[in-house]
Amino acid sequence: MIREETIQKFREIVGPDACLSSVEDLINYSYDSSVDEAMPDVVLLPQGTEQVSAIMKVANEEGIPVTPRGAGTNLSGGTVPMKGGIVLVLTRMNRLIKLSKEDRYAIVEAGHINLDLQNRVKAEGLFYPPDPASWSVSTLGGNVGENAGGPRGVKYGVTRDWLLGLKVVLADGRIIQAGGITAKNVTGIDLISLFTGSEGCLGIVTEVTVKLLPLPPFQQSIQAFFPQLDGASRTVARIIGSGIVPVALELMDKVVVNMIEDSAHIGLPRDVEGTLLIMVDGEEATCRKQVEVMEKICRDEGSSDIQVAQSAEEEDKLWLGRRSAFGVMSRKRPTCVLEDVTVPVSNLPAMIKGTVEIGKKYNLTIGVMAHAGDGNTHPMIVTDKRDREEWKRVEKAVSEIFHLAVDLGGTLSGEHGIGLSKKPFIPLIMNDDARRLMVEIKSVLDPKGILNPGKFIE
Amino acid sequence: MEQKKPVLSDATGEHVYHCAKCGLCLNACPVYRETLVESHSPRGKVQLAKHIIEGDLDITKHMSDILFSSCLLCGSCVAACPSGVRQDALFSGLRWRAAERYGLGFTKKLFFQVLSRGWLMSTSAWFGKWVRKIFGGPWIENRMKVGNLPVAGVPPMNAKPFNDEFPEIVRPDGAVNARVLYFHGCATNYVFGDVGRAVVSVLTRMGVEVEIPKNQSCCGLPIFLSGDRKTSLTCIREVVHAFSRKDVDAVIVDCATCGSALRNEYVHILKELRDLGEGVDDDLVAAAEHLAGITKNVSEFIDAHRDWLPPFPPYTGEKIRVTYHDPCHLVKGQNVGAQPRRLLKLLPTVEFVEMAEADRCCGGGGEYQIEYGDMSARITNRKVENVRKTDAEFVATGCPGCNITIGAHVAKDHVKAIHTVQLIRNALDGKGPGE
Ligand SMILES: Cc1cc2nc3c(=O)[nH]c(=O)nc-3n(C[C@H](O)[C@H](O)[C@H](O)COP(=O)(O)OP(=O)(O)OC[C@H]3O[C@@H](n4cnc5c(N)ncnc54)[C@H](O)[C@@H]3O)c2cc1C
Repeated sequence: MIREETIQKFREIVGPDACLSSVEDLINYSYDSSVDEAMPDVVLLPQGTEQVSAIMKVANEEGIPVTPRGAGTNLSGGTVPMKGGIVLVLTRMNRLIKLSKEDRYAIVEAGHINLDLQNRVKAEGLFYPPDPASWSVSTLGGNVGENAGGPRGVKYGVTRDWLLGLKVVLADGRIIQAGGITAKNVTGIDLISLFTGSEGCLGIVTEVTVKLLPLPPFQQSIQAFFPQLDGASRTVARIIGSGIVPVALELMDKVVVNMIEDSAHIGLPRDVEGTLLIMVDGEEATCRKQVEVMEKICRDEGSSDIQVAQSAEEEDKLWLGRRSAFGVMSRKRPTCVLEDVTVPVSNLPAMIKGTVEIGKKYNLTIGVMAHAGDGNTHPMIVTDKRDREEWKRVEKAVSEIFHLAVDLGGTLSGEHGIGLSKKPFIPLIMNDDARRLMVEIKSVLDPKGILNPGKFIE
Repeated sequence: MEQKKPVLSDATGEHVYHCAKCGLCLNACPVYRETLVESHSPRGKVQLAKHIIEGDLDITKHMSDILFSSCLLCGSCVAACPSGVRQDALFSGLRWRAAERYGLGFTKKLFFQVLSRGWLMSTSAWFGKWVRKIFGGPWIENRMKVGNLPVAGVPPMNAKPFNDEFPEIVRPDGAVNARVLYFHGCATNYVFGDVGRAVVSVLTRMGVEVEIPKNQSCCGLPIFLSGDRKTSLTCIREVVHAFSRKDVDAVIVDCATCGSALRNEYVHILKELRDLGEGVDDDLVAAAEHLAGITKNVSEFIDAHRDWLPPFPPYTGEKIRVTYHDPCHLVKGQNVGAQPRRLLKLLPTVEFVEMAEADRCCGGGGEYQIEYGDMSARITNRKVENVRKTDAEFVATGCPGCNITIGAHVAKDHVKAIHTVQLIRNALDGKGPGE
């Protein structure tokens, strides 16, 4: 519980309509897109770095936990306030501060929505590559918090690769600027990397400076269907091995495709075992050549049908289906457990095969989807958390999936972060000293341990 | 006693468990986009609904305010939800319980009781008197703004109800291609008489025999969505009895909201009330299912039978720029969006321009704009800005509510809102859009 005088202080900082404590509001900030929930004591929606700093000073003095939150779409419990306290919501800090065409960068406040930025820079002939499937709602601050990727990651990498600078409020309210606006910058330790992917445990990001590219002149997407899932995953490894760098290379199995079709009715074939969705961009002639090569590889690996999108609308439709894939899984059963174990691309076929086998072993419905070009798989277990017995099997299956990934030279999370759900598995991948180092770093930045307590750094 | 009743039927309640909390509805919701607060988002309210259904959250006065003030029941979230959650059913169900507990506002109650007894509104004089009573005062004369609605731009009432203008059956000259019932709804009957005339004119010229049943009731949807289920059930029964007929090819509706009531909502509502033991039987549900199957939006019907249209007379005047606004209850509720555009592009009188965010809510939400003027205004401004950017002279649409809201706000720019079918009629008459 937070004392009423303290709440009054917060109310004075952010204004009465940005300091919420009704039971309804507390419930509404108790969850994110993962399965866990916990109630905060108060919800604050600051506007501006100064307000964030003022809040942190009070919180630090009184030792009140603070969980930063963007749109709350992370899939790992990152914004669930495990120890109560404050949920600090940055959605109202959504200004575009600067867009420089000459120097090709943009500065936005942390609550700026990814797709809004995409659209703004596109209008100027520019391009911001990271495109998490949640882009229509997720915020740049949240993208930094999880170091989010997206389908375009195969060619363009993840959020960190596009960051030039961050403004960060530290646990005690001090404000720092990491990085700047220049394309190159090796002044000091790379603090941007320190905060990126730190899941709100090391500081509050209030402004984000991203670098931009000229908008690619052309893009083309193709969709290839395979009677065998194995053929699809081998195709992925072969395309990557061929030297082509597609923008995106997504794989979906039959379970996922059918659920998408139930929801979106875009005419996907319901009986094929594997579907690949591939995008290339660049000069038109080059793209067309790449598409030809990829078509050939698909056919060699037994693809039964290949379709090339003929218009921008057709492209949009293909990708819209893919972006809704997590949500559609909840149509048949209420709970969808989504993991994002990542392996070297050459081991993708083994990872996918193993996942399907684990599903069979525990008699669970597992849909397999992957940002395949990155070796990043998204096994999705559809279940009902209310069914205790089944839930036990789910937990066992998840544990086996993690072990398999590690055995294949992979890692626990490619982009969704550790949060709560994967916390117990960190020792599989980091030794004691590495984990202790994380704790030591945190204790320097946040000696009282108020930033997003209960999460992966402990 | 009240305590024992389940809040919602099991079938509706189960929807809360299928929400993956993925958040893809947040961006679709016009209210969330303005306030950026989770409790105003569809996801937020679904989670609150879950707590209410499970019994650990009471429908407080604050909750009731959230349900009414932060939702236009536009259905954008339903359309955006990949998991197939029917947020509209959850929210309207909770509004019903909230209204049971806290009552409807006085104005709302009167408004709905009058709508549900259409026959009371048989003279326009009475209607005028009633409108003054409802909104309390001489605002019509003073051209004031009520809530977000600038009254100066609101069209005047029909001189006499549309239903009195025509005989019950209007036959086409020559061969009959189809026989339809025309459900004209309250808006056409009392405000937009010319829309009704255009519907009859275009359909009969297509060789369609149009039957316009007398004493038509309100579709009941605005009443239902506001939580007054008892009153709305009166309407629904009457409409189903009058229109669920096996001897016609279609029931034609010109209003987006009425259409989504007849083809989507009735069956759902009636099943819910049946399951909760509120005096609805299987026969009524079956009749509503039949009605849902034969109901067609007027643009959809004309588009499907384009080959029945007579040729447009040659038009030599200058083409007029027209843009199109997708009413939520039409594009999201009934998947009708391509059809009116196709028809507009067919007209020799029209130069069609697409506006940005054509399918974003106009912010009207029926009486939402009157009760929650500030929020409504924020959403409407965005729409008006998008209209302005097209330089169009007309905004075509298929919903009287959107027509009033958008029309009232663009009037000062000399832009007019008009129903698609009116443009088609004018073109068939060889006239420009505004003649
Ligand atoms: C349908 C769906 C599709 C998705 N697709 C992808 C995908 O393709 N790729 C991908 O990588 N992820 C994906 N995600 C996961 C999620 O959307 C991303 O992690 C996204 O970056 C989260 O953004 P957010 O604004 O919702 O952040 P939140 O969920 O609110 O926060 C995420 C983390 O960052 C911290 N945080 C938030 N804001 C700040 C801040 N200003 N300062 C410091 N810390 C902060 C939080 O404490 C939390 O730990 C998807 C999620 C869904 C529901």
